[in-house]
Amino acid sequence: MTSPSFSLQPPHLAVRLVNLFTVPDNAEAIMGDLLEEFSQIADRAGVVFARQWYWRQALKTIVHLIYTAYRAAPWSTSAGVVGGFLTRRLLGRLVEPTIFAVLDRYQIPEHHFNMYVFFASTGIDIGYLLVFLFVGCIAALAAKEREMSAAMTLSLIFAAMAGTAAVSWVATGHYWILWRLTWNFADSFAILIGGAIVRTHRSATRLSGSRLNT
Amino acid sequence: MAGRDYLGEFEHIVVLALLRLEERAYGVTVRQEIELRTHREVSIGAVYATLDRLETKGYVKSYRGEPTPERGGRSKRFFRVTAKGVAAVNRTQRALQSMSEGLGLIENYS
Repeated sequence: MTSPSFSLQPPHLAVRLVNLFTVPDNAEAIMGDLLEEFSQIADRAGVVFARQWYWRQALKTIVHLIYTAYRAAPWSTSAGVVGGFLTRRLLGRLVEPTIFAVLDRYQIPEHHFNMYVFFASTGIDIGYLLVFLFVGCIAALAAKEREMSAAMTLSLIFAAMAGTAAVSWVATGHYWILWRLTWNFADSFAILIGGAIVRTHRSATRLSGSRLNT
Repeated sequence: MAGRDYLGEFEHIVVLALLRLEERAYGVTVRQEIELRTHREVSIGAVYATLDRLETKGYVKSYRGEPTPERGGRSKRFFRVTAKGVAAVNRTQRALQSMSEGLGLIENYS
């Protein structure tokens, strides 16, 4: 007879996160172990407790997997971080000149002033956001099977840089710039999204490849 | 000292758990065994990271079990300790015993 807790599912987001950070060889066993124990705990102590347990396990596991990525595959993981950082340095310089070149090319300032103001302000921020998304993809591609460990490290580095800048803004009394932090943290988040895109794509490719082989 | 390494603290605990569990050693049982006996919460990520490291060193071997419904159709990964692993755990135990011999730890420091 099937246990009633088989139909219960652990928190979807936590499952997705663990899946993203786990190396493919271990993904099946780790995800299966977590689900099996989640069902046992849900039977014994209730769903709420089981969900809390799952989240705790997921977060601890993710932290551990990021840390062990540098022990198990130091070169490829570090290459992902350095590659992402250099890509940001290279492409970051091109955002503003590219946007202004396009605006000038289509004579936007003369004919659509409001659009010009939008692209010269928010458009630049969106441009940087796309650059960071690309940076996340590059970091993940270089890091091979530890895509999210490299992306997370890079994301934390840029978040720390933004945090340091915010402290200096506050120290020098430039409180009005603090709203920029929203964009800065969005940039860090975009790196994670880039990493997740590459990882998801690779997982899908691997899955379809293994289905073809069987 | 290649091939004559001692096990780290958590590696030692994991190998002992595998020896206790014998044929039933996979992620869930290993994690639960460690929690039961050490009273410390261990993440499944920490268990697998250590098991992978031990497998790289040749101290444990793993093999896949059959997929089961309570695991959403996913298979288990079973582990067993190799002869090299048993030698490493013995070496570590002997070193610990030798280091603690004559200290009277329980009487003097409890």
